[in-house]
Amino acid sequence: MAPDKADVWQGTLALMVLKTLESLGPLHGYGIARRIEQTSGDLLSVNYGTLYPALLKLEQEGHIASEWGTSDNNRKAKYYKLTRAGRKRIEKEEREWEQTTAILARFLTPSEES
Amino acid sequence: MRALRAWFVRFGGLFGKRRRDRELAAELESHLQMQIEDNVRAGMTPEEARRQALISLGGVEQAKEIYRDRRGLPWLETLLQDLRFGLRMLAKSPSLTSIVVITLALGIGVNAAIFSVVDSFLLRPLPVPRPEQIVVLASHQQGAPMGASHFSYADLTDFRKQASGAFSDLFAYAPAPVGLSVEGRADQMTVSCVTGNYFSGLGVKPALGRLFLPGEGERLGDSPYVILAYSYWQTRFGADRDVIGKQVRVNGSPATIIGVTPKDFHGTYSILDMDGYLPLNMFAQGPQAEALFTDRKMRALRVLGRLKTGVGAAQARSAVSVIAERLAVQYADADKGVSVRVIPETLARPDPDIGTMIPVVAGLFLLLAGLVLLLACLNVANILIARATVRQREMAIRSALGAGRARLMRQVFTEAILLAGLGGAAGVILGAWASGSVLAMLPKSNPPFHLDFSFDWRVFTYALGAALFTGLIVGLWPAWRAARTNLNAVLHEGGRSDSAGASRHQVRSTLVMIQVAGSLALLIVAALFVRSLHRAQESYLGFDPHHLLNVVVDPHEIGYGEARTKDFYRRLEDGVRALPGVQSASLAYNFPMGAFSDGRPIEIEGHPLPVGQPPPIVLFNEVDPAYFATMRVPVLQGRAFTDSDNETAPPVAIVNQTMVEKYWPGADPIGKRFRVVGSPGFTEIVGIAGNGTYMILGEPPQPFFYLPLAQSYTSLRTIQIRSSVAPESLLLEVQREIRNLAPDLPIFDAETMEQALAGANGYFVYRFGATMAGVMGLIGLILAVVGVYGVMSFSMAQRTREIGIRMALGANRRDVLRLVLRQGLTIVIAGVVAGLACGWALTHAMGRLAAGPSNPGPFILGGAALFLACVALLACWIPARRAMRVDPMVALRHE
Repeated sequence: MAPDKADVWQGTLALMVLKTLESLGPLHGYGIARRIEQTSGDLLSVNYGTLYPALLKLEQEGHIASEWGTSDNNRKAKYYKLTRAGRKRIEKEEREWEQTTAILARFLTPSEES
Repeated sequence: MRALRAWFVRFGGLFGKRRRDRELAAELESHLQMQIEDNVRAGMTPEEARRQALISLGGVEQAKEIYRDRRGLPWLETLLQDLRFGLRMLAKSPSLTSIVVITLALGIGVNAAIFSVVDSFLLRPLPVPRPEQIVVLASHQQGAPMGASHFSYADLTDFRKQASGAFSDLFAYAPAPVGLSVEGRADQMTVSCVTGNYFSGLGVKPALGRLFLPGEGERLGDSPYVILAYSYWQTRFGADRDVIGKQVRVNGSPATIIGVTPKDFHGTYSILDMDGYLPLNMFAQGPQAEALFTDRKMRALRVLGRLKTGVGAAQARSAVSVIAERLAVQYADADKGVSVRVIPETLARPDPDIGTMIPVVAGLFLLLAGLVLLLACLNVANILIARATVRQREMAIRSALGAGRARLMRQVFTEAILLAGLGGAAGVILGAWASGSVLAMLPKSNPPFHLDFSFDWRVFTYALGAALFTGLIVGLWPAWRAARTNLNAVLHEGGRSDSAGASRHQVRSTLVMIQVAGSLALLIVAALFVRSLHRAQESYLGFDPHHLLNVVVDPHEIGYGEARTKDFYRRLEDGVRALPGVQSASLAYNFPMGAFSDGRPIEIEGHPLPVGQPPPIVLFNEVDPAYFATMRVPVLQGRAFTDSDNETAPPVAIVNQTMVEKYWPGADPIGKRFRVVGSPGFTEIVGIAGNGTYMILGEPPQPFFYLPLAQSYTSLRTIQIRSSVAPESLLLEVQREIRNLAPDLPIFDAETMEQALAGANGYFVYRFGATMAGVMGLIGLILAVVGVYGVMSFSMAQRTREIGIRMALGANRRDVLRLVLRQGLTIVIAGVVAGLACGWALTHAMGRLAAGPSNPGPFILGGAALFLACVALLACWIPARRAMRVDPMVALRHE
């Protein structure tokens, strides 16, 4: 496991998880994974090894909270929901992402002056 | 902040591990099931659905592993694991563990104990604000004896005026014994007479009442106040808060108690605990009192200063020496040849002259203690290396199971540090006990010594550092071995280790050799100290110290005048002489090596001093006619004093041989004259006494003169009693005699001459040094013997097979013995040779630093070497005997 790569992944994955929970409300791990895969147009595949450590990290940092519940088809599952700190983090990260992409976009689209 | 929170949560993740593992498993399982259900819904068969789900989700165990690492703190978990495992290993071999811990405890304990002594002398600051600013000013006049580093009040005043650029305050004190009478009961107390700014300059705040104010007590007659020290207030006044304002008598004069100093302040004379503080004007009486403030030759003050913020020692030094030079010119008759040094307070304890020697002595003893610790480390390293051999298989298996080198090293290091930590903890306990025993060794004296060797954070830090150092040293080699374990070789060897240990054995033998060498060096130093103690105890002192009792009193403490005092002494002497068991009794100001040694500047008749040269200061004593006979000081020529050498007779003196050789070489000194500078007439020499020891044991022969008590009055006197019975048995009757004559009079000091000789001015220092060095030598010896024994018996155990084969091939017991002893002898001889070199170098370095006895001589060198070699060979003998009894059949079938 190369920690550098995982961190980068986890950075973006964390935002995806948070956005998912924001739009769908409390959700279990499988639901989160499916939603991310669908939203990405099945370009991303989320396995245990990346998802659960990311969820744990978010929970340790206090951005999400978890409790056990029952799923639609009556299966016991752990549900994650967004905390207030999590909402704040979404705002912050969204701003930063927009900024980053805007900057990157300037590099990627050829400038008209030159 | 979030990171910190996560850290705490992760720390919490170290606990409740099983429940969390269960939860994670359940969560992953439900995730898997949902995926399978979805796959089924998408049209797969149940088997295919499960297969696909497992493929897309990845390894469950791997996920769990990553998750666990994230949940807790992996490094901490490994550490705890290592610690747990280490403790289990240690508990499994309790005898080995206890040997190691005891060995390390000895090494670290000795260091902690020695360091606590060093700490109390050199490091622990005064309990005042910004203690690093406090310095001692030490003056030295050319020709003055050691210990005369004091100032006159007039000089202090000039320094105060002229050095205000470097010092925010200069203040002084002078320790003195006084009698304190409260409600008719007189007690003797040790006080410091201090300048008014003493407390404000130091920054000491009262625990009760008030302290002196700047300027107070620096004129005759003002401020008749007493300040009590906290402990004295507690013991003498039962911590009564109403003591403030109480009327008392100090040396018979009325005074008022105005305050109590704080608990942790013991005054600035480091080895004494002051009972109280008086204003400076109560230091001397009568004409002396006046002279204290006006006469520049009356140097009685110990001066301290507080450096201004930002002023360094160098700046202060140059400021002070400029003033000293100016004063030497301005007041040439008194201050000629005076130089002044500025010394940090911690380096001037208890006296500037001794204080500068203390770091050297401290360094020497720390070096010896360090050597002991090193020996202990080598021993433990040896044991651990032996154990590493035994545990080689364990390491190989661990490594086969996937433990990396770093992981193995960490495991071994953790165990070593664990052992060192246990040893350190035991060592601190041992050290605290040891420094307590050092305190108990201190002689009883009056005034009592105050030394605090308690363990403060500095000592604990030092012990911790020693323990860590130990852990590193003893863990280094085994850890390196563990990391280099050759998996294949060990596992294939099938547990036989005949050949594997060759190089390791080399290492262990070398370690033992170093041990023998270090231990021999310690023994040589110890023997040297013991020899000087022996020499000191045997040396001729110039008088007969046996069957002699000294009792010191001072009727001035209860306000007696001169006539009454003389009458008291006359009756006391008569009364004591009449006691059964008393052979003779005499009176004198001081007794040899007593607390009141005093010197005076003298001039020889007919030999005026060259201009600008200060007069020599010579020690003296005031004695009555019976003194020489009672003390058995031989009068070699001329006569002793007689009763007719009284106030009205011409002044006479008796001088010692050294004084004759120095000032009247080659001439007949009887009838020659000299005088104490400032006295009106010359004194005629009527006799020559034998040389003796006057101030401290071990001093070089020095000039000394005696004056008749009748011709120079002092109120403080010692009565010497020569007895035919045990002198201490007379003490009660002498006390009764004194109480009959003067019921209130406190007795200053009452001890036999032999007790006094065991004290600080006698051979105490020698005994102290001999005990410390002896204990360290003994520990070193034990460690070396254990080391030799350990390495030999381990090597024999490993060579059992080899010996069995040899015996099967026809070797007899003597051959085996020779084999074993040769191995042992090589180690011991190499160690002894190296040890002789070390010991020789060490003792010569000691001699160069003048910090201790030197020049061991062939007797000590040879004796110590022989002794150590014999003991070490004895340690080889036991394993050798065991080897001789090896039964070839058993040995070959073994394993």
